[in-house]
Amino acid sequence: MTILEIKGLTLASKQGYIVRDFELSVGVGMCHALIGESGSGKSMTSLAIGDLLPSSVRISAGDIRFLGRSLLSLSTVQRERLRGKDIAYILQEYAGALTPFIPIGKQLDETLRAHSVLDRKLRKECILQALEYTRLPDRMYDRYPFQLSGGQMQRVSLAAALMLKPKLFIMDEPTTALDRTNAIEILRIISNLKEQTNCGILLISHDLRNVKRYADDVTVIKEGQIVESGPTQRILSAPAQTYTKRLLAAVPSLRIRPS
Amino acid sequence: MMTKLGRRLFEFILFIFLLSLISFCGIKLAPGDAVRQLLRVDDVAVTNEQLEIQRELMGLDKPVMIQYVDWLSRFIRLDFGNSYMTHQPVTQEILTRMPATFLLTCTSIFVLMGVALPLGMYSALHPQQWIDRVSRVLAIMGASVPSFWLGLLLIEGFSVRWPLFPSMGTGTFWHLVLPSLTLGLTMAAVYVRLIRSSLLQSLTQDFVLGARSRGVSRARIFFFHVCRHSLTPIITMFGISVGSLLGGSVVVETIFAYPGLGKFVIEAIHNRDYPVIQGYIVFMGAIIMLIHMLTDVMVGYINPEIRLREGRP
Amino acid sequence: MNKARFLVVFFFGMLMVLVVLPEFMHQDPLMVNLKQKLQPPSVDHLLGTDGLGRDLMSRLVYGGRNTVGTSLVILILSLGVGIPVGIFAGYAGGVIDRIFMRVSDSFLAFPDYITAIVLTGLLGPGVINLMIAIVAVKWIAYARLVRASLMAEKDKDYIHSARLSGVPSVHLVVKHLMPAALSQLIVVATLDIGKIILMIAALSYIGLGLQPPTPEWGAMLNEGRAYFHNAPLAMVIPGVAIMVFVLLSNLMGDELQDGLQRGQKGEQNHDHS
Repeated sequence: MTILEIKGLTLASKQGYIVRDFELSVGVGMCHALIGESGSGKSMTSLAIGDLLPSSVRISAGDIRFLGRSLLSLSTVQRERLRGKDIAYILQEYAGALTPFIPIGKQLDETLRAHSVLDRKLRKECILQALEYTRLPDRMYDRYPFQLSGGQMQRVSLAAALMLKPKLFIMDEPTTALDRTNAIEILRIISNLKEQTNCGILLISHDLRNVKRYADDVTVIKEGQIVESGPTQRILSAPAQTYTKRLLAAVPSLRIRPS
Repeated sequence: MMTKLGRRLFEFILFIFLLSLISFCGIKLAPGDAVRQLLRVDDVAVTNEQLEIQRELMGLDKPVMIQYVDWLSRFIRLDFGNSYMTHQPVTQEILTRMPATFLLTCTSIFVLMGVALPLGMYSALHPQQWIDRVSRVLAIMGASVPSFWLGLLLIEGFSVRWPLFPSMGTGTFWHLVLPSLTLGLTMAAVYVRLIRSSLLQSLTQDFVLGARSRGVSRARIFFFHVCRHSLTPIITMFGISVGSLLGGSVVVETIFAYPGLGKFVIEAIHNRDYPVIQGYIVFMGAIIMLIHMLTDVMVGYINPEIRLREGRP
Repeated sequence: MNKARFLVVFFFGMLMVLVVLPEFMHQDPLMVNLKQKLQPPSVDHLLGTDGLGRDLMSRLVYGGRNTVGTSLVILILSLGVGIPVGIFAGYAGGVIDRIFMRVSDSFLAFPDYITAIVLTGLLGPGVINLMIAIVAVKWIAYARLVRASLMAEKDKDYIHSARLSGVPSVHLVVKHLMPAALSQLIVVATLDIGKIILMIAALSYIGLGLQPPTPEWGAMLNEGRAYFHNAPLAMVIPGVAIMVFVLLSNLMGDELQDGLQRGQKGEQNHDHS
């Protein structure tokens, strides 16, 4: 069964179409990467899945199915319930994703309270477990977001996302602003998570090395439309479209040996 | 925190000292002869002899420096002399009238917030819709209305034509209604827009999307995250505007014959009652400094970033 | 921009009206005629008469000259004092600047109304004292604005290079540093026109400003108060007049501010994709 299935999605705003006729699917335990230039509509698409589109953008056509159910037919409240619990986000602006003047523990607790009925002790345990899983010390519970480094904030976002064991992870540029060490570690954690929980991952990234290493499938998007799509191996080693070739050529270190 | 508090206290004392100097100089430089003022207020014909005696009594025949030292020594004991008008100690006169003004200020703040907060919040959450547009018009008009005119119109409307509320004096809760409305509404006009724009800015912050992506409810995000984020600029503004409130209350008290500090000071000014004016300057200065300090403390409390300096930007 | 231009033109138009109209006034605004008191509007007296039989219309127009005119004079004086001080403090920096900041901090701590009231109280009622009092309150804000703007700009590279190539200081200040301050200054000054008018009106209302029998809108409100029942116009019209001008000043200032922000945003445009 597929976790996520997007068909014919069209996003429109006053300026025109942001995304046209978009298609993508993520299977159980699979990672699907979405690559393209800035402004190609990647982030908007990911926001559309969780009903997080800004008010100026609407879904004018298409469907998004999660675990077989059409999301667009659900009410706002129902979609809100899915967010954080079954569909988790790691946003591009992870540094600002948590409110700076509220301690981290409290915010993660808030998320738990929104989705579960655990009592306080269990909630705290859950949070500490999540912190541990992302290799963060316990004392982070009482820290404020402004006291953390970029890498630590990223892990906190990850911890917040995985607390409730979501079925789908949407990650928008999870490692772009991180140094190499942190980036590798984050991806390793995510990859382990995938192994353990069989969740699906939608990975939006500029970094083609990560895509090559972790993604099972790749979709290339340009100006809101799909250029090509398929298994990572095939796309990265033998791209069919000119645009894809140019995109890959821009990353000189990437070399796929045809297997 | 200790040294910060210590510094604050030091600035405070320095400020009060400066005030004493300024008010002393101000009185000295002001046109008019203090002795004449005092005696003439009594409407008594005086001879030169009596003037000289009074001058000696008041210590005005001594050199200026000595006068200042005298003044300062009494100043420290909060002794500003007696009012030319009432012949009672200035400090006492001021202190007896302060509660009334304080009460009026509080009720005006209540009106101010009661109007500006809901309107501001609603406008921020539903921008460009009719409430937002209407509040924009009302805000600009409210900021343009002279407060005393509004007061007069209110009196005419709700006190004379339609005797609902008293227009003069004090004593009951009803006496506070019209003056508070006058003060509160004119200030609310300015505040609605400030609250709205502050909230709008907070609503566009990254953490709002972050919280939404975690499934936190919109209501909770608004009240616990957004509002708190807006609180800093709003409290700062508020600290500054308490000053305007105090200034505005002077005029309002005069219109409504409300026996507060403002009305008293205006009378003092008209009667050239310098001791009262001096005392007023110092008391006001002290109160305003106090409010500024309070505001800073509150902002520090809300904003852990300021408290815990070891934060990373 | 069109809206701003319209408003500015309208404002100056109203000013012109106030300046020119008195020439067409037949009635003497100061002439007391108790037999004619509290008359309703008529051909002779377009707005009726006030409690002392004086023609309201001419009092309104002359009062406008006084109220609005005085406010503009005060504005210009405040700018005249504030801008040089601000330039001096901002450009010279160092100790001078610190002294300025400290002194102005203490002044600014006091609410403007209270300072103005106290100053007029000490100096005595009258137009000149009123002007001194309000200028004393307003100039600081302008000085600080100019100073802040100068401080922000003066450390920028293009200024350094200009100085190194021998551009004289005055030229630097006027041509390069001031324009940034100027736009902000215009917005604040425009908004202040209204605020100063309100201050003049309030102070005159409580008897601390322009003295009777000089017509002034705030004082006229005080005069008209007693007769509100019989002749409401005497109290309503001056209030409306004040409101119109303050409203104009606020609207102009708002539009100018929006225009400023739009200009600034254009400079800092960056992509969030």
